[in-house]
Amino acid sequence: MEKDKTRKKAEMVPGTLEMLILKTLERNREPMHGYGVAQYLRRTTSDVLQVEEGSLYPALQRLAINGWVKAEWGQSEKNHRARFYKLTPAGRRRLKQEVADFERVLEAILRVVQPAGGAS
Amino acid sequence: MDGLMRLWRRLLFYLRRNQFDRELEEEIRFHQAMRAEENHAEGMSAEEARYAAQRQFGNQTLLLEVSREMWGVRSIETLIQDLRYGARMLLKNPGFTLVAVITLALGIGMNTAIFSVVYSVLLRPLPYSAPEKLMAVYSMRPQMNSFRNVVSAPDFVDWRAQNKVFDAMSAYTRSGYTLTGSDQPERFNGLSVSANFFQTLGVKPQLGRAFLPEEEEAGRNRVAVLGHDLWQRRFGADPNLVGKSVSLNGESYVVVGVTPADFRFAPVEIYTPLTFTAEQMSDMARGMHSYLVIARLKAGVTLAQAKTDIEDISRRIERQYPITNAGKLGNVIPYQQDIVGDIRPSLLVLLGAVGLVLLIACANVANLLLARAASRQREIAVRTALGAGRWRIVRQLMSESVLLSLVGGGLGLLLAYWGADILIKAVPSNIADFTPGWRQIGVNPQVLSFTLLISLLTGVVFGLAPALQVSKPDLTDALKDSGKGSAGLKRQRARKVLVIAEMALALVLLIGAGLLIKSFQQLQQVTLGFNPSQVFMANVSLGSAKYREEPQQINFLQEVLQRVERSPGVVSAATVNLPPFSINSDRVFTIAGKPEPAPDAIPDANYRVISPQYFRTLEIPLVRGRAFTDQDVAGAPRVVIINEALARRYFPDEDPIGKQIKLGRYMEANPLHTVVGIVGNIKHRGLDSEFDPEFYYPYAQTPARGSAIVARTQGDPLSLTTAVRNAVLEVDKEQPLTRARTMEMAISDSVTQRRLNMILLGIFGALALALSAVGIYGVMSYTVTQRTREIGIRMALGAGRRDVLKSVVGQGMSLAASGVGIGLAGAFLVTRLMETLLFGVKPTDPATFGGIALLLLGVAFFACLIPARRATKVDPVVALRFE
Repeated sequence: MEKDKTRKKAEMVPGTLEMLILKTLERNREPMHGYGVAQYLRRTTSDVLQVEEGSLYPALQRLAINGWVKAEWGQSEKNHRARFYKLTPAGRRRLKQEVADFERVLEAILRVVQPAGGAS
Repeated sequence: MDGLMRLWRRLLFYLRRNQFDRELEEEIRFHQAMRAEENHAEGMSAEEARYAAQRQFGNQTLLLEVSREMWGVRSIETLIQDLRYGARMLLKNPGFTLVAVITLALGIGMNTAIFSVVYSVLLRPLPYSAPEKLMAVYSMRPQMNSFRNVVSAPDFVDWRAQNKVFDAMSAYTRSGYTLTGSDQPERFNGLSVSANFFQTLGVKPQLGRAFLPEEEEAGRNRVAVLGHDLWQRRFGADPNLVGKSVSLNGESYVVVGVTPADFRFAPVEIYTPLTFTAEQMSDMARGMHSYLVIARLKAGVTLAQAKTDIEDISRRIERQYPITNAGKLGNVIPYQQDIVGDIRPSLLVLLGAVGLVLLIACANVANLLLARAASRQREIAVRTALGAGRWRIVRQLMSESVLLSLVGGGLGLLLAYWGADILIKAVPSNIADFTPGWRQIGVNPQVLSFTLLISLLTGVVFGLAPALQVSKPDLTDALKDSGKGSAGLKRQRARKVLVIAEMALALVLLIGAGLLIKSFQQLQQVTLGFNPSQVFMANVSLGSAKYREEPQQINFLQEVLQRVERSPGVVSAATVNLPPFSINSDRVFTIAGKPEPAPDAIPDANYRVISPQYFRTLEIPLVRGRAFTDQDVAGAPRVVIINEALARRYFPDEDPIGKQIKLGRYMEANPLHTVVGIVGNIKHRGLDSEFDPEFYYPYAQTPARGSAIVARTQGDPLSLTTAVRNAVLEVDKEQPLTRARTMEMAISDSVTQRRLNMILLGIFGALALALSAVGIYGVMSYTVTQRTREIGIRMALGAGRRDVLKSVVGQGMSLAASGVGIGLAGAFLVTRLMETLLFGVKPTDPATFGGIALLLLGVAFFACLIPARRATKVDPVVALRFE
């Protein structure tokens, strides 16, 4: 039971949630509300990365504190009041750096995991 | 910057935290509604879809908490809670709060005022580019213990040409200029400077240009750079002034530049190029020292390297010109250090003293807090019993003391603003002008940060000990009783220690102040050697072109003197090149008929040129021989009068009258003068100076260019000003009269710094005395209250009022005596730091130490007497029923 749950949920690597949010905002260009971000993440990862949706909001707050995203109230597609998040230039720089860091780590992990002489 | 923005966003968030909560909730509601809709669209029932949405969302309350925590709201919230509670507690005890705030305001205010002076004068970088690279270069004679002597022209020229350590090296010397033209003639301070002077300082003229190298040559040097103030005031900020001519000392100079508004180099308004004449560059001129030198270090060169390089060059010069340069080396000193050298020790002593005042203030407030702690013991015990941790209580109490010290600091800032203003105005302009940064003293961001910092620090210093004390109560004891248990005793001990410390610190301060006061008294009793009262002085200048020939100078002075002597109220009038308490000038001389002296033993003496009535005017006694007469003129036998100090040093076993001396060195062919009189010694350089050897020459035989008019008057000396000015203008309408003053003003100005030190330290000492008296009074009052029952029992058992009085006063005095004992030891160690500020009194002067100790004990005695008398009024019956 315990094991099963772990495998299915594919827990987030700590810290990557913020990167994913930043990336989502970057790709989307338009400001997005929290629900939109959750929906996008869910769809593009085909539910492999299961995020407890509520945890998006503290993450968005942290990004706002650091000035990486800017929040503004607006109207949703269905004319509800919703808070929209927009990537700031500082956020763009931050994303670039995080992606670079992440790729370095990933590359290192892959080098260990993949059979020697495989890819190259 | 980034951190600051983050803090700002947090603060903004804190102020709008309720809105934030609402918004986050709204956002979550929106999210769940959308999710439910989606779930519904995927086929769930409406209710199912809503539950699923909530599940998928996770723990909502926790998320809200997490978000809030992230903004750091919790700590801000507690802090604000603490501060609000603290403010309420302080307002509930307005008496305590008022006393504490005033004590702190005085302490912090004085510290801020003194710091604002220290910052402007000692710490603020000079307003030149890369000021740390600027060096003053001097001549020094280490064997004679003199390190900051002016430099001769040939030595300077050699240093400048041969050194490898300076980017630029510039000589300068003070000069005065009389500006004539459309307005009244006016006299200005000027500076003759090497052409690269402005480059050395790294300053570009605001208008026009600096000097060119070729403008150091004779014939091309009639150019001037004007100070910004002068340009604005005299020339209405004329933008086309550059290129025009002005008349300085009767000669025409072309203005080539104007300095920037913020440029300041002593109080100078006119700069001209410095030209060395052939005579000034001769080998013998290496013995004539008259220039100051400033230089800029090359990048990467250290002070030590510069010193070594200049010393090496000096040694080469020494070998080549032993007659003039034996034992003489070059010395390099950082320029800022050089110009603040004189005022630095006093400022540091004042800063230390005012720091002590703050410590005493802290001790006093800590004492008050401890006294109040007794009444808060129960409150704190209750809070502890209800589960408040010790740290939480310490934090609460500390918030209170920091709040107290911040309010005190705010009030202190006002005090400092006003205090610094008084300080600035207390200093006469002759000192203020030459003290760098003096004009810029004020409350600036650096001073504000200082105040904030010491306020916080003060709050921690006086708050921490009481907070720690109070926060570890013996719960049962405290809840039960009114503080007579062990915690109460411990607190009593803490208060006693504080009082002892206060007494000790106050004693140190008072002894410091006492030593300065005694120095000042000694200074006032110094024998001047002349009578300074009723003497008028003013300066005239003979620098202008029309006084190039000696007869013209003599004639001018003669005419002026005749007119002044005829003015009503004048007893006698005279002229002297350099009056007492102005500046000094010394000359080497040779005594005829003696063997050539060793290079380091060449006689020298102060050089004065006077008119015959000088001794009578200043009432300098003629000891032997005769004064000058109107017959001592050019063509008559050359004569000189010496003072007793010169006679004693250079004619120890013989009668100097009739002996002959000449100015200059052994081999110089200067005319001989016969000594015709000996006069008494007078103080010339200042009250604290020695009696220097001195000679006087008659102005009609040996004129000097700079001249002062001195006159003894019957009424107020200053009422003579107009008469003397008119006399001068009658003789020469282009001649301004400058610095009209009385001799007593000049003497008083010369001790300004000492007087200021004395007054300030006196104020600090008095405050320390008052604070420590209040401190001991507070502790003894409290002790008496605590001992009421005991005293009642004693009295019931037959003790008299006298015994009670003795017992209480004795207890207080034992505290005072411990404080005084420790203070005496401390003062013994500390007062030697102020040795340079003392005059005629040793840093460990027994009379001062003893007297001040008695003073402090006396004040402590009276402070104890009041509570002791209250103790004697205890009614045994009431006392036994007490509580």
